[in-house]
Amino acid sequence: MTRKRRECIAAALFLIPSFAGILVFYIIPYIICFVQSLFIGDSFVGFSNYISLFSNYTFTLALKNTVIFTVTAIPLLMVVSFLIALFLNSFKRLNSFFRSAFLIPVVIPVASLIVVWQVFFEDYGAINGFITSLGLPKIEFFDSWFSMLMIIFIYVWKHCGFCVILFTAGLANIPEAYIESARLDGAGPLKIVTRIKIPNITPTIFFVFLMAMIYSFKIYREVFALFGDYPNEHVYFLQNFVNNNYYNLNYPRLSAASIILSVFIVAVLFVFFMLERKRNYLE
Amino acid sequence: MKKVKTVFKYIFLIILTLLFLFPLIYMLIGSLMPNEEIVSMLDFSKETYKSIKLIPDAFTLDQFYQVFFRRAQYLLKFWNSVIITFPTVIGQVVVSSLAAFAFAKLRFPFRDKLFFVYIVLLILPLQVTLVPNYIVLDNLKLLNSFLSVILPGTFSAFGICLLRQCIKYIPDASIEAARIDGASYFRIFTGIILPQIRGGLITLTLLCFIDSWNAVEQPLIYFSDRSMYPLSIGLADIGNSDYGIIFACGVMFMIPPLLIYLYGERDIESPFTTSDKL
Repeated sequence: MTRKRRECIAAALFLIPSFAGILVFYIIPYIICFVQSLFIGDSFVGFSNYISLFSNYTFTLALKNTVIFTVTAIPLLMVVSFLIALFLNSFKRLNSFFRSAFLIPVVIPVASLIVVWQVFFEDYGAINGFITSLGLPKIEFFDSWFSMLMIIFIYVWKHCGFCVILFTAGLANIPEAYIESARLDGAGPLKIVTRIKIPNITPTIFFVFLMAMIYSFKIYREVFALFGDYPNEHVYFLQNFVNNNYYNLNYPRLSAASIILSVFIVAVLFVFFMLERKRNYLE
Repeated sequence: MKKVKTVFKYIFLIILTLLFLFPLIYMLIGSLMPNEEIVSMLDFSKETYKSIKLIPDAFTLDQFYQVFFRRAQYLLKFWNSVIITFPTVIGQVVVSSLAAFAFAKLRFPFRDKLFFVYIVLLILPLQVTLVPNYIVLDNLKLLNSFLSVILPGTFSAFGICLLRQCIKYIPDASIEAARIDGASYFRIFTGIILPQIRGGLITLTLLCFIDSWNAVEQPLIYFSDRSMYPLSIGLADIGNSDYGIIFACGVMFMIPPLLIYLYGERDIESPFTTSDKL
């Protein structure tokens, strides 16, 4: 038996457990799901479930909110955590306590935190108390577009820590000589960041982006904890749409929505991987 | 001038840290306040603004006494969380590390294409996969059992991605040397790979633990028996009059993840710092 064949067999054995899981819990369900989305009751309707989804008000609303959230929260999270990482790296020696403190928000379970957010953001919460004491009108965090801001804030606050750790590790890996020689050539601090530091941590940036995306799907847990099943129209996300249709047992529509959402994510990921391949960022 | 700058930097650092630590401190203090004090602090029906109270008027352990000895339903929910989380974490670490090794170090046809398929499928959010999974679980007669949450939770893109990244830093030469000495691939995996990716394994354990500890959607949909609900759902169900209990349960609920975190704190950063491994 050649070495190549032995290696292939070994690889197959190592992959069997995960592949079995993926087959049973992802591939087969998706096939069933896709087939269902083409039917209403027992009659084949082609893509009309998809077309009717796009004329459905709640679906387009959910789609719009999800897109707004994704394109604002993910870049914001990446920028904020990069800035904090730069700040932490500017200390010569730093107690590891400070870096670990940033991980605390991830560690604390969602459910434990609801009360804290309520105390802050309720109509008569601490923030409104502060705002009105300045003579400004109070903000209805739970019933206006500020809800979206609140959710974005919670998302950034919660996931910042892990991204900061990824970034600080990336920054610490840049050889000191690069920065030193740039400084000798007369580069200012801003230029060192944009020309030396950012290009040198592109693999980290890509990994953080991937993480930020995975996390952005999980924001539903906070939305559910704060708003229940029917949040106001500013934070009604696709996940809410899927869940609510689940309770109505509207399978064809649900399947169609699942497929659309998946296609959207796969498209984003595909672009991402193409870029990675071109530059070999993750290697 | 330089000194002033340093002082400002430290002040900013402390403010930043407090912002991130605040909820933890707040939960701890709240859990030690007597119930009436919390209720008066949190009563949203009164038309007065809340102030955040960090120094309790009185100190009591009554909430914890209630949760641990008088109201068993919360402890029961806590154990439901444990039953769901532990097998999920163990399963995920085992499955992910096996697959990660194959993707990082073994050569086989279509490796990168298969990896892409893995990542794409596994990254799909829960809300999309819940429905397809429901159909399959229904056919497997697994609904309304803990397995319906545990089994799908075992497979994650994050685990495979993270561990693959860690394994890549292990030099090929050490694997090659062991292979020439006649070690099987499984021996290489357990003897050379696993000891070197400790940091990655602990990070995965922690993050996977937190994720499944917080599971809300799957139990809500797959369990029809409400007594099987984990504490993550139970906490949202506690009535408004029982704020004290919420704080005590919240503290109880965050102890296990915190313990794992404190245990692995040092190692969590190591998978991302490559300098010492190259």
